Amino acid sequence: MILRSACLAAFMALPAGAAQGDEVRFFEERVRPVLANNCQACHNDSVRSGGLSLVSRESILQGGSRGPAVVPGNTADSVLLRAVAREGALKMPPGGPLEPADIEALRAWVLAGAEWGQPADPAEPAKLWSLQPVTHPELPRIEQSGWARNGVDHFVLARLENEGLEPSSHADRRTLIRRVTLDLTGLLPSPKDVQEFVEDSSPSAYSRLVDRLLESAHYGERWGRHWLDIARYADTNGYSIDGPRSIWPYRDWVIRALNENMPFDRFVVEQVAGDLLPNPTRDQLVATGFHRNTMVNQEGGIDFEQYRVEAVVDRVRTTGAAFLGLTLECARCHDHKFDPISQRDFYQIFAFFNNVDELGGNLGETEGRSRMMEPILELAPPQMLAERDRVTKQVRQLERELAQLGRDLEASWDGNLPGVDKEALRRADVIVHTAREERSSVQQAVLERLFTEHVSAYKAKQDEIKEARKALPDITWTMVMRDLPEPRESYLHVQGDFTRRGDPVSPDTPTVLPGMAPDLPRNRLGLARWLVSADNPLTPRVTMNRVWQRYFGMGLVETENDFGSQGNQPSHPELLDWLASEFVASGWDFKHMHRQIVNSATYRQSSNYRADAAEVDPGNRLLARQNRFRLEAEIIRDAALSASGLLTPVIGGPSVYPPQPEGAGQFTQVDRNWTADTGPDRYRRGMYTYFIRSAAHPGLILFDAPIAQETVTRRNRSNTPLQALTLLNDASQTEFALALARRVREHSPNREERIRHAFEVCLSRPPSEAESERLEILLGRMADSFASDPGALERSGADSAHGAAWTSAARVMLNLDEFVTRQ
Amino acid sequence: MHPNGKRLIRRTRRQLFQDCGIGIGKVGLTSLFVGDSLFGQRPESAGGMHHRPRAKSVIYLFMAGAPSQFELFEPKPELQKLSGKELPPSMLEGKRFAFMESFTKDPPKLLGTRRKFAQHGESGQWVSECLPHTAQVVDDLTFLRAVHTENFNHAPAKIFMNTGTPFFGRPSMGAWVSYGIGSEAKDLPGFVVLQSGPRGPRGGAMNWTSGFLPTAHQGVPFLGGGAPILNMTSPGGFEGERQSATVDAIVELNRLNMEAVGDPEIETRVAAYEMAHRMQTSGPELIDFSTETQATLDLYGAKPGERSFANNCLLARRLVERGVRFVQLYHSSWDHHGGPGESLDKDLDEVCLTADQACKALIIDLKQRGLLDETLVVWGGEFGRTPMGEVRDTVGRNHHIDAYTMWFAGGGTKPGQSIGETDEVGFQPVKDAVHVHDVQATILHLLGIDHERLTFRYRGRDFRLTDVGGKVIAPLLV
Repeated sequence: MILRSACLAAFMALPAGAAQGDEVRFFEERVRPVLANNCQACHNDSVRSGGLSLVSRESILQGGSRGPAVVPGNTADSVLLRAVAREGALKMPPGGPLEPADIEALRAWVLAGAEWGQPADPAEPAKLWSLQPVTHPELPRIEQSGWARNGVDHFVLARLENEGLEPSSHADRRTLIRRVTLDLTGLLPSPKDVQEFVEDSSPSAYSRLVDRLLESAHYGERWGRHWLDIARYADTNGYSIDGPRSIWPYRDWVIRALNENMPFDRFVVEQVAGDLLPNPTRDQLVATGFHRNTMVNQEGGIDFEQYRVEAVVDRVRTTGAAFLGLTLECARCHDHKFDPISQRDFYQIFAFFNNVDELGGNLGETEGRSRMMEPILELAPPQMLAERDRVTKQVRQLERELAQLGRDLEASWDGNLPGVDKEALRRADVIVHTAREERSSVQQAVLERLFTEHVSAYKAKQDEIKEARKALPDITWTMVMRDLPEPRESYLHVQGDFTRRGDPVSPDTPTVLPGMAPDLPRNRLGLARWLVSADNPLTPRVTMNRVWQRYFGMGLVETENDFGSQGNQPSHPELLDWLASEFVASGWDFKHMHRQIVNSATYRQSSNYRADAAEVDPGNRLLARQNRFRLEAEIIRDAALSASGLLTPVIGGPSVYPPQPEGAGQFTQVDRNWTADTGPDRYRRGMYTYFIRSAAHPGLILFDAPIAQETVTRRNRSNTPLQALTLLNDASQTEFALALARRVREHSPNREERIRHAFEVCLSRPPSEAESERLEILLGRMADSFASDPGALERSGADSAHGAAWTSAARVMLNLDEFVTRQ
Repeated sequence: MHPNGKRLIRRTRRQLFQDCGIGIGKVGLTSLFVGDSLFGQRPESAGGMHHRPRAKSVIYLFMAGAPSQFELFEPKPELQKLSGKELPPSMLEGKRFAFMESFTKDPPKLLGTRRKFAQHGESGQWVSECLPHTAQVVDDLTFLRAVHTENFNHAPAKIFMNTGTPFFGRPSMGAWVSYGIGSEAKDLPGFVVLQSGPRGPRGGAMNWTSGFLPTAHQGVPFLGGGAPILNMTSPGGFEGERQSATVDAIVELNRLNMEAVGDPEIETRVAAYEMAHRMQTSGPELIDFSTETQATLDLYGAKPGERSFANNCLLARRLVERGVRFVQLYHSSWDHHGGPGESLDKDLDEVCLTADQACKALIIDLKQRGLLDETLVVWGGEFGRTPMGEVRDTVGRNHHIDAYTMWFAGGGTKPGQSIGETDEVGFQPVKDAVHVHDVQATILHLLGIDHERLTFRYRGRDFRLTDVGGKVIAPLLV
């Protein structure tokens, strides 16, 4: 109870003189969702159960058949409160009581005067905060002006001061360099980096560190991987067969673009419509892989058109989530229930993406199968392509010869082949006497297999083809966008069913947003330019909110994928606008914005838990401290690779196959051949692990890496025993531990020095005395234990009992909460 | 210990969020469950989530590939008579099928079965000669003979059966259940997946994903062989006491850091390591069948060490005994199109032989132990098969979504009855048809969950297992 009242107080600033903004905020965050989720289905302007509508302050005060639902300031006479408290005969909602906290929120709201927020009425969409033009707010006045380092801090501190909260002190230098290095590159700082930073007393030491990290090629990997979540990037086609595809050049394009600090507007245009730019470069074509990360169903017997439509829908969904923060897919089957997006809006956007020259329509099984990945772009020099064409021609010729041979064999078929059993002969006989065009593909295959196994000339020809194929050069290709010369007809799908054709539609943007400029073409290129046009308020807000989320664990708008009326209000609306406007004004300069955030005092605060702040702000929305959170799946691997010194820091290239536990692939339809790399590719960063959608590497999935079925704008962050088992027992982890132990032992002959080094390598700090002692105890026990058990020593892979003891210590280090956490 | 840390640990974070009214679905900063709920362990009171539950756990026997109801459960004299005749084209109008080409080239012909049927048990239920064992326990089963679904390709249909939508990546039934009512198992995941037969289910992990629900609720696939869970075995040389000493050191060092920074998440991590360590001991015990009597092994046809449906059924019983909430067994391959390896004769016989006895055994064994009342057993595929033949290497049957058969047993279902009827040739339901969403709503209902109220807000929408449909199948309930 104490906590609850305290947190209400935080939102409401109950003391006299409370700003009205806080009440609105409280309404938006705590009251509107309760009404929307529990009451408004029956009590709205059209249904009016009991004559009551609960969709505006006016209608609530007016009330229904039982009189006013709410009397502001008077909890006893407010029917709404009595009904939800289930005090009288009227018990609402009928399905079961509200959560006590929700009832308490309603009560507090009535008591404070039942202030309303902004109307959520779709008829007045312009009032939705996120659709308002982006402003460039003045920096608010703050009292402790010495604390603030840049604009960001003014907004955060003003809010804290308003709530009577002190910000936290700066994190110590070691924590800070580990934090910012992980955030910008996803790798650990080396002990040398840490030492230099700690000893650099110049005031610009930190900002120089930030500059250096932003110039690192690993920056593009780190932030590229964030983008790849949104792009639903994977190395296989998805659905049931989930066969391989080639689209890693797109992944590398993302890394490159970020490293070159490509302006974000260009970054968007090239991905959405690079192919439609005048004389597109090869890179601009590769960039369009963004919307080819859609899944492809390779299952037998499918309706190709159905899955083409699914891919187009996915592009609409992804476009909505990635750039606009809108849940467009809600309007696939019907008008959006909460946001001003109609079903027509949905299919107008659909129409932009409906013209891709990809698999669909009434293609037959055979033709469909051969065109599965198209359109593609081959990335090879012309002479290589010519060589390929030459060899292909040769192979085709041989295949024709083989086919002729087959026909000859059939022509001379007498129902007998030496060494073939009767049943097989009978079956073959049936097939031979079925006209070729009447045979099923399976029958044809059965016959051909029989020839291969029992006719040596046939087998020889097949071997010849196999041999010729070996000369085919390995040509890198990647999936890209290419439109049909004639656009497909687009129409509304009644209830989202593509077989039920509704009104025709043409490409256009949602009516609720500022329209497309007249000079923009009504195609994907026009859409792309519109997404990053000056009067689109959503793209810069949504993008900056996500950048913020990566640095603080949560966006300023907590519902980072819903900027509609069901989403949360921003905790710091002015800050969000300030960032968004700064972003656009800087020429959509990503690195500029990174500097703004990571150089701020807000970012540099300690993340240590604070009871005083938690009392009023348990979610740390006000940022009286930094947040502490577990590293992402790939980064846990990367951190272990950097700590052990095994990392192969190569950027880009085809995806790789680090070891994975035996049996990991046994739960899908198609057995996966996963042969672990043995060379340097064994130690590549986590983001390069070959990603199979239906059977992703367990080390990724168990740590909440998205499964790339659809766009993901925020990962879960779970903490489970299966993660513990992985970090404790996975063979890769043991390999890392052996290497880390070697590294530590090579550092010094002195035990204390070694322990210190282990801490500095893994945690960027020296151990406390207690920690050092604890590790010493373990080392002693383990050395004894291994010395007395030669079998265990042999199995451990270490060179001596001491080596095995240090490997144990290394295992401990790699399993520490602090190791997998960015503090 | 950090003074704040201590207090925080006493209140779970879940309570904390509830107190402050921050919806649990929205909290992204920290993991969602602490201490006692690492696998969603959150035993509800006997009152259930929304009403009194009839079943405590579910064993879902997923017959992957779609068994033919016409060979197993549905005798159709009229179909026998019309065998070889073309299906009236009017019946095909507007219908979409898999492998459409095979039906558009020539009008499909009806196909009578070559199997013999008889009525069994006191309840007189029809079962064919393919399933002589199942036939012995029909008085404990309820057949749903007119189930229909919406997707005619394997993977989307499996996903639909499991998640209520054909879209990949939505939470699966087991994950919803675990999220809704948690699990009573102490050292085991609340949702376990077992697999047998020649190949894994199409769609793989999508069938047991937690989707946008917290990852702790995803199904954990158990492996064949010595250790059921990935990475359950300590690395070579570091087994036994040495592993314990390592985990102890990790735990103690984490606690030291907890004192310094006060983040309750560290305590969660400590609990996760402690549980992981317990799982390393309980896992081998779980799959050790030496504590079972020979009679039990014989009943199932289980052979220790084998990766078989029979072993999985026995393991499923052991799992629910230990409080695991949802066990899903995939058994392939039932996809009898008529091609090589998929004939309605020999190949169907083979898969029936691997499945039939263990199904019976599971029912008998659960009953003997007094577990059938609180364990819901569900049997079925992702769709059914057509009354028309499909000509491949031999004549088989194509995918059919409009009517097929499933059965339920135990867990508060009314035994010894059939619900639903199809027309004379089994093409369309004519009475008491049930949709996949109804099946899902009913499973949740038996567990004490109202399918319309178990929701999760994601991307601006309240999602639920049954999407926008679902009605509890009333005649199925006791």
